[in-house]
Amino acid sequence: MKLIYTFLVLFVLVSCKKAPTQLTKITAKTTVVDSTVASTTTITDFVAPYKKQLTTKMEQVLSYTPINLTREDGKLQSTLGNLMADMCLDIANPLYQEKTNNTIDFAMFNNGGIRAPIPKGAVTMQHAFQLMPFENELVVATLTGDKVAELVSFFIENNRAHPLSKEINLILDGKDYTLMIHGKPLERTKTYNVLTSDYLQNGGDHMDFFKNPVTLTPLDYKVRDAIIDYFKKTDTLKVSLDNRVISKQ
Amino acid sequence: MKRRNFTKQLGGAAVLTASGLTLPAFKKKSQRQITILHTNDTHSHIEPFEATHFRYANQGGVAKRATLIEQVRKENPYTLLLDAGDIFQGTPYFNYFGGELEFRLMSMLKYDVATIGNHDFDNSIDGLYKQLPHAKFDFVSANYDFSNTVLDTHVKPYKTLIKNDIKIGIFGLGIELEGLVGKKMYKETKYLDPIEMTQEMTQKLKQTEKCDLIICLSHLGYHYKDNANKISDLNLAKATKDIDLIIGGHTHTFLPKPTLVKNLDNKNVLVNQVGAYGVNLGRVDFYFDEMNNNEANGTSILI
Repeated sequence: MKLIYTFLVLFVLVSCKKAPTQLTKITAKTTVVDSTVASTTTITDFVAPYKKQLTTKMEQVLSYTPINLTREDGKLQSTLGNLMADMCLDIANPLYQEKTNNTIDFAMFNNGGIRAPIPKGAVTMQHAFQLMPFENELVVATLTGDKVAELVSFFIENNRAHPLSKEINLILDGKDYTLMIHGKPLERTKTYNVLTSDYLQNGGDHMDFFKNPVTLTPLDYKVRDAIIDYFKKTDTLKVSLDNRVISKQ
Repeated sequence: MKRRNFTKQLGGAAVLTASGLTLPAFKKKSQRQITILHTNDTHSHIEPFEATHFRYANQGGVAKRATLIEQVRKENPYTLLLDAGDIFQGTPYFNYFGGELEFRLMSMLKYDVATIGNHDFDNSIDGLYKQLPHAKFDFVSANYDFSNTVLDTHVKPYKTLIKNDIKIGIFGLGIELEGLVGKKMYKETKYLDPIEMTQEMTQKLKQTEKCDLIICLSHLGYHYKDNANKISDLNLAKATKDIDLIIGGHTHTFLPKPTLVKNLDNKNVLVNQVGAYGVNLGRVDFYFDEMNNNEANGTSILI
C-alpha cells in the first residue's frame, strides 16, 4: 500500500512538472467532405425526425401555375420577375398604407435576386424558399423624380430584366425613353414611393439611386413571407409578359 | 514556457505539400501533437448538397463530417474542433427550427469553441440566446460588447484549454454589424476595434495565461480586394503579434492551404478558411518538442 502511494506521488510529481516546450512543426490539410465519406448513423438518425417534419412543410402546395415561370423568358422583363414585383406590391401596399396613409407607386427588385424558376404545375413552399432563400425585408424608399430618372438610366444601361411592377410603362427608343407611372408621365419635382428590399436599398447590386432616399419606410416583412402569403391567397397564378417595358428596337 | 520563433521554414516561403502525416522515425517520445479541426460559414447545411447541384454535388453534410472528425480523434485524441461563425441561415432547417438542430448537432460532434457571425443574429440576438441551451460548446467574442444585451456573461472574450499538457488560448472576433445586420437584430451589441481587442487578448493569453498556442476565431473576412484597408484576417495578422493561427470566415474563401503572413514581430501567422456550407473540414497540426533537445530553434511549416 505504502509502495503504491509512493508511486502515485512520484507519478503526480512527474506529470505536474512540465518541461518547457517549443513549437517545432506545423502541418495543414483540408479535406473535402464528399461522397466517398461514410455517414455517421447516429447523426442521420438524429436528423431524421427534423427532416421528416421539414419535408412535409416543404411539400405543402400553396398555389398553381399553368406555365413555367423563369427570369429569362423576356429581354427586359420576365414572367417570374413580373410576378415577383407585382405580388410583393400587392402584399406590401396595405401595410404601407397603414403606416403612412400613402400608397406605393411601383416596385423594383433585381434580376439576380430571383434565385430559382418555378416549373409549370403545383407551387409549393419549397419553390418559395428556392425563389427567395435570403431573409431580405421589404422597404419603401421615397425617391425624388430625379432619382427615379437615375433608376431608369440604370435599368437601360444594365440591360437586364430587373423586375418592375405593372404600374410602370417604360418605352425605350434607342437612348430615349418615355416613362409613365400609373399612366402619368414622370415628374422630376414629385416624389415616388418605391418598394424594394433592404438589400437593394443598402446599395446591393449597385442600385445606388436607392441610397439616401427622402424617407425610408421599413415594413418589417420578409420578401419570402410576402411571396408565401401571396401564393396562399392565389389559387392560380396569372402571369404574362406585358407592356411594362417595351423596346422599340 | 519560452515561446518559439518561426524562423525555420522548409524551402523558404515555398512550402511542401505534406498531408498531416507523421513519420514515426522522426517522432520523439516527448513530442506533443495538437490537432485543430475547423469549419466556418456552415450556414445550416445539415445535409449534403443534392446530386444535381451545379457546384457542390453530394458534398458536405454533418453526418459525413462527423465520420471524418471521429477518424481524426482516433488518430490523435488531443484534437480541438472549432467554428468561425455563420452557423445559422441558408436552408429551411434554420427557418423552421431556429438553429436548434445546428447547435444540437455541433454538440454531438463535440465542438469545443465557436465565434459569432453576422448571420447568427438573423433571428435577432434573442433568437440566438434562445438556442444557447442546445449548444454544449462555448462561444467566444472579444470585440462584441454584449453587456447591455441578453448575451451578457454568455459569451466570453476568450477561452483556454489544456490538451496534452499544452495550453491553448482561443479568442473570437466579429465583423462590424452596422450596415450588415439590422440594428433591431443586434440591439445594444457594441462593436469594438478588432486590432485593439487583439492586442489586449494576446497580451492576456500570452503574459497572464501563459498559453503555448494562441488561436483567433475570426468572422472578419479573409481580405477585401476592393477595400484593401478594411480590417480582414490578412490585415489583422500583419498588424498584431503572438497569434499562431487565425481561423477565418465570412468571405466564404476557400484556401487550398493556409496563407502565411508575417506579423509585427516578423513571425509567421497561419491564416486559414475553408469555404462554406461544411463542404470542407480544415485541419492544422501543431507539434511541440521539449526544449534542450539539441534541436535547432524554429518551426518547420509544412503546408
